[in-house]
Amino acid sequence: MKQIDEREIIDRVLGGDREAFAVLVDTYKGPVFSLAFRMTGSAQDADDLAQESFLRAFQSLGRFRAGERFFPWLYTVSLNVIRNHLRRVKALPEEAVRKGMREATDPRDDPADETVARERHRRLQRYLLRLPLPVREAMVLRFYEGLSFEDVAAVTGETIGSAKMKVYRGLEKIRAMMEADGLTGDD
Amino acid sequence: MMRDSDIEKMMDLLAGEEKTPQEITREHPETDPRWKELEAIARMMRQEPAVEPPGILGERVMERIRACRPSLWTVIGEALLRPRTASVDPFRALRAPVSGQECSFYFIMVGVFYAILGVVLMIGLNRLGSALAPADWVRWQPLIALVTASCMVAIGLYVQKDGKPALRIARIGAFVYLGFALLNGIAVPLERDLPVSAALSLLSTLIGVPTGLFLIRTIQNCGKRYAQT
Repeated sequence: MKQIDEREIIDRVLGGDREAFAVLVDTYKGPVFSLAFRMTGSAQDADDLAQESFLRAFQSLGRFRAGERFFPWLYTVSLNVIRNHLRRVKALPEEAVRKGMREATDPRDDPADETVARERHRRLQRYLLRLPLPVREAMVLRFYEGLSFEDVAAVTGETIGSAKMKVYRGLEKIRAMMEADGLTGDD
Repeated sequence: MMRDSDIEKMMDLLAGEEKTPQEITREHPETDPRWKELEAIARMMRQEPAVEPPGILGERVMERIRACRPSLWTVIGEALLRPRTASVDPFRALRAPVSGQECSFYFIMVGVFYAILGVVLMIGLNRLGSALAPADWVRWQPLIALVTASCMVAIGLYVQKDGKPALRIARIGAFVYLGFALLNGIAVPLERDLPVSAALSLLSTLIGVPTGLFLIRTIQNCGKRYAQT
């Protein structure tokens, strides 16, 4: 991720230069899209939610406080957008996975010889979608987005201890699901 | 069943990657059976390749941002909720130059005060019911308080937005406010011999006159600040 002076860009946007926001979009579109994809399991939803997240961030930029780090703030905005979406379609991801209607789709082009890796990826995504929402959030932020526990806690608005506990529960649940499927962590 | 402290310890271990699983197992034997499995799952997740967004995502976002026209409520909300740093010291404001933001803050606070007063008067006078004739000046007091509140907040926001050019309007507003506070203090008791009239008159004068003088003084000091810069 290239180094940019986020404060200066934010000041320019707040000063009326909307085009300056493109720099922030360009820098963070990957992580925001990835977060939405891992949380919903759908590339189409992730695309819509990433757009909505940036739009919401743009509209709320005035409330961004000086001295605050931009990316945890942006993640919090995104997470709220994703939470609202998931509340609206509450039972859908799990239902979709069960019925195989809207199974997690990865926007990458998977080569044919990577069947095993692709299957593992799909399986992990399925397990992830079966986790309760707060647990899924903590897992995605910690392992897929690579945030520290401090940042996970800051983004989700809870204590560090609670974030760790959620990650632990998530790992335990996935382990149990894998066990039920007759798999181990190394499969 | 693992204790919470053990779980936290385990998560700390998962977060730090400088140690090998063997070292961790040796140091923390209590985490051994679960560690290996959980660590393997965490590793699998970490090793998942990054998901690339569609190439057109950035352009789509910018199209929506270009087309975005905030509603009036959003604009007002942003203006009121935007974080600002301003030192507030009413006693210093009487004798030393003050910033436009501080001056604006005093106007908004006076507005907030009158909004609350208006609502309280509205509820209180409503209980008097038929004791007041429709044209009574006392009956108009809640509305007067609410209009004053709106004007003060509007002036405050104007001073905050435009700074020096808005001071002229603010000065006129403060003088009108002071004059009206005096007039109100005289008009209310003249109209009707109700105890509530005397109370309202006293309230209007006791609050209005010092507040008006304070605002006028603050505007003068704010003008001095702009003259310095």
